[in-house]
Amino acid sequence: MSIVRGTTRGTADRAARRRPRRSATTALLLGVTVLLGVVYVLPFVIQLVTSFKTDPDAASHPLSLLPNPFTLDSYRRLFGLGGSGESVPFMRWLGNSVLVTVFVTVGRVFFDSLAGYALARLDFRGRNLLFNGLLTVMSVPGVVLLIPKFLVLNELGMFDTYAGMIVPLLVDAAGVFVMRQFFLSVPKEVEEAARIDGAGIFRTFWSVVLPMARPALITLTILSFQSSWNEFTHFLVATQSPQYETLTTGLARFVSGSLSAGTQYPLKLTAALVATIPVAVLFFVFQRHFVRGANSGSVKG
Amino acid sequence: MNVRRAAPAALCGALLLAGCSSGFGSDSSSKQDSEGKQHLTVMIGSSGDAETNAVKAAAAAWAKKTGNTVTVTAAQNLDQQLGQSLAGGKPPDVFYVGSNTFANYAKGNSLYTYGDQLSYQNDFSDSLRKSFSYNGKFVCAPKDTSTLALAVNTAMWQKAGLTAADYPTTWPQLEKVAKKLTSSKVTGLVVDASYNELGVFMKQAGGWITDPGQAAMTADSAANVKALTFVKKLLKEGALKYPKQVDTGWGGEALGTQKAAMTIEGNWLTGAMASDYPKVGYKVLPLPVGSAGKGTLSFSTCWGIANKSAHHAADVSLVKAFTAVPQELTFAGAYGVLPSRTSALAAYSAKYPANKAFADGESYGQGPVTLPGFTKVLAQFDTDLAGLATADPKTILSSLQKNGTAALGSGG
Amino acid sequence: MRKEQQGGTAAVALPAVRTRPTGRTGPAGTGRTGPGGRSRRGIRDRQGRWGWLFVSPMVIVLGLFLLLPILMALWVSLLHWDGQSDPFTSAADFVGVRNYTDLFGSSGGLTHQLFMISLRNNLYYVLLVVPLQTVLALGLALAVNSRRLRRKGPLRTAFFFPSVTSSIAISTVFLFLFQGSGAVNALLKWVGISGPKWFTDAHGLVWSVLGAVGLVDPDKPVHALAAHGVLGLSWWDWLAGPSIAMCTIIVLAVWTTSGTFMLMFLAALQDVPAELEEQATVDGASRWQSLRHVTLPALRPVIFLVVTLGLIGTWQVFDAVYVMSQGAPGNTTLTPAYLSYTSGFQDSDYGHAAAIAFVLLAIIMLVQRVLLRERDGQPSRIRRLLGRNR
Repeated sequence: MSIVRGTTRGTADRAARRRPRRSATTALLLGVTVLLGVVYVLPFVIQLVTSFKTDPDAASHPLSLLPNPFTLDSYRRLFGLGGSGESVPFMRWLGNSVLVTVFVTVGRVFFDSLAGYALARLDFRGRNLLFNGLLTVMSVPGVVLLIPKFLVLNELGMFDTYAGMIVPLLVDAAGVFVMRQFFLSVPKEVEEAARIDGAGIFRTFWSVVLPMARPALITLTILSFQSSWNEFTHFLVATQSPQYETLTTGLARFVSGSLSAGTQYPLKLTAALVATIPVAVLFFVFQRHFVRGANSGSVKG
Repeated sequence: MNVRRAAPAALCGALLLAGCSSGFGSDSSSKQDSEGKQHLTVMIGSSGDAETNAVKAAAAAWAKKTGNTVTVTAAQNLDQQLGQSLAGGKPPDVFYVGSNTFANYAKGNSLYTYGDQLSYQNDFSDSLRKSFSYNGKFVCAPKDTSTLALAVNTAMWQKAGLTAADYPTTWPQLEKVAKKLTSSKVTGLVVDASYNELGVFMKQAGGWITDPGQAAMTADSAANVKALTFVKKLLKEGALKYPKQVDTGWGGEALGTQKAAMTIEGNWLTGAMASDYPKVGYKVLPLPVGSAGKGTLSFSTCWGIANKSAHHAADVSLVKAFTAVPQELTFAGAYGVLPSRTSALAAYSAKYPANKAFADGESYGQGPVTLPGFTKVLAQFDTDLAGLATADPKTILSSLQKNGTAALGSGG
Repeated sequence: MRKEQQGGTAAVALPAVRTRPTGRTGPAGTGRTGPGGRSRRGIRDRQGRWGWLFVSPMVIVLGLFLLLPILMALWVSLLHWDGQSDPFTSAADFVGVRNYTDLFGSSGGLTHQLFMISLRNNLYYVLLVVPLQTVLALGLALAVNSRRLRRKGPLRTAFFFPSVTSSIAISTVFLFLFQGSGAVNALLKWVGISGPKWFTDAHGLVWSVLGAVGLVDPDKPVHALAAHGVLGLSWWDWLAGPSIAMCTIIVLAVWTTSGTFMLMFLAALQDVPAELEEQATVDGASRWQSLRHVTLPALRPVIFLVVTLGLIGTWQVFDAVYVMSQGAPGNTTLTPAYLSYTSGFQDSDYGHAAAIAFVLLAIIMLVQRVLLRERDGQPSRIRRLLGRNR
């Protein structure tokens, strides 16, 4: 809060010295804010630079922004193009992450809109009960479900399968809620016009209402992509075999394995970097959707 | 019947279906796969690339000969991954079972008992067979054994002006050389903060965590206090550090990256040094003796076969290939373990004289605590050992005594 | 957007949703005003069928993977179960509430002690992270919102970006930065401080700070505090504060969450009428006074929301612990969520693991409840929202 404090000094005779003080505080404000910005970005810069370093260089010059010598070894090892030392099954992690993310994103966008529309616009018995149930379910914190989810996947015979990784994520309560809120804002006259033209309920939903929901759908797509790409705890308890490892579980096990502590940081940081890139690209292209996700719904916290 | 009622009905149906395909089978053995070509999975807890590659090569050779396929995976945390897969009813077909976890798995009926199917079962020593027997039945074939010894970096040794005459044989000597070898960049002795390594001092002082029959706790004995007091002194002097304090994961890595001049590690050290740090020269010495004489720890592992595996015949065939005398010697050469078969042990000693200290320890090594329900107690002991530098040895040992007694009482 | 902020945030988050003008008739009125030709009843029936069809994927997925797990875990929390048999048969070893009493009573031995340590750790984590992230996020929002700052886009992006990346990837980076010979200590060296061995330092922050000014010796517990205790821990341990190792996780949490919260503040700040602030300035109020008397009161609902979300999220810290410390050193980064995980998957003690999960759930629900009731006395929007649908 140094920004605030910076503006409070010497309030007594501020009228007299208004102009110079203003520019001084402006400079201070700017300086502190930019410095903070650097602090926020620096870890990523160090990560990027270290990915081009050798193990000994990274260990002895962790802060140096110039790799010496410059090497692409980490990238070669990750993508199975040779390089020294044992490789990690990075391509498999990547493949699994892409697979799961695609299915979950498509599923969520479709099922969340379906349910959101029904809860907003269709009149059926039990709807209020369902909606209240949805609100309750939304408030159950994810971490609490670690052991319970494992039990149920096991009982369903879905433990350690792609189905076990994907199906539980296909619908998310928060997404349903956001879509419901959106559909509530669509003017009813639109649907009524469609119905008069003889369109059925699904047709009305699919070809009239859904196209109007494009902005909300884009936001939901992006947030679903981001959250399933970054998902960790669910995959941790839903799978055991290395063949199902995603970028998050694979990387986490690789990094926390006691035998490799302290070494191979360039490789680990490169893996983390590559795992970050898709979401980063998405972020820079669609930043306003992320902002909307953080704000309008707030459900994604 | 309309959709309104159909939906809940579908849900109930799904639940019923779920009940049928439950992952928690109480049936101990699963249906056997009778196809010609079978696919096996093997999970190992590896000490490094050397071990992983050796097991992969052996499995590939067997697969080629039999026409089956095998996938070998190295777990990052074997206990956790194996525990989760057993509870999930999808264990690998063949896996490492440490003697410390054997009792838990055998008690839970997770292991397939195949000892009797091995024609050479008497080629394993009595103590090894006993370690892997449950209710009087020989369950799984011992894979290998390892003991702990002292490894020193020979270049640093010379640089500090020390000679072979200075190899420590007593605690005071160990302390002296450790202090001498310690500099701003190098720590004299780096040892894992675990009873699996530091426990050697307890043995050398004449103590141990339990009595020989594992019927009662003896953690708070005077001998154990003496041992931990010595370790604490070394920690205080900076002559002994834990691997994390020098940014490494274990003693071998500290020795290999030349952050430690000495370490106390098991046979697996030799494999890791050869594959990861071939340029670092080191020598393996017997551990120094304490007031009660010699003492080291001995670890063994067996080739567990899951009761849930659908390939029992192929599994046993694979284990037989793994425990053939030439194969055991190949493993021993690749990552330094001691062969489990007596007939292979003699050949080993002749072939690898540099590892004599490890082989010698086999005759008097203390095995790990194998009581069910003790993993948590011992994990807490390890946590306490990590904080030994600033804690009272007596407090640590009395809490171990207390926790262990409670676990003994509840029978796991 | 950060993982640990997800889930469980919704109910309290609702007030932030700009409720759109849905009309007083509400959605329930939709079908009734339907055009002529078909009977009202027919439409209702048709909507009923389609309605259930539309929501059935949601009902099945959430029912199977949210509700059912909770019920199953509730059962398992009453068992002694080692994960190697079927817990849903009559052969299960039913122990009643013993798993719960083990957590809170000294009869639980090690389980009790570890659970209390994890509660203490998480409590200090909450006490530090929530105020820090709230104040920092507010500060960032005020700075970025400042009219005198041109080109604020890049800054906003910089502050927000850590929030959208994977917690695992970020933890990996932090692991590297905070090594004993890592970048953070290299930075500290520039200013003449010799940094601690972050991940091996189990000393409590309180005793370390008091030790630095010579009041206590962090390595020699004060006897009066160390000899007595409550709930399985000595007063010395209760009062120690977060360990140095925990501080790295705290920094990580503040760094990754402040961006999201900054955006919430920014959105709210844009709703504060600029004339009001200008009026205050013209009236001779200092910028500080205008902040205190105009801006902050206007932000009150958002501050409340941010604090609530923070309180809920911080009780769920798991990912960073899994990657960075696994509870070490000296159990000082052990949290209830992580303890539940290891009790189950590592120690094969699923009964205690499930019980810990339920206690954690109770804590988080309690926090939500208290905060919702606490808020300005009047019926909350969420309740109004619920009421409207009833």
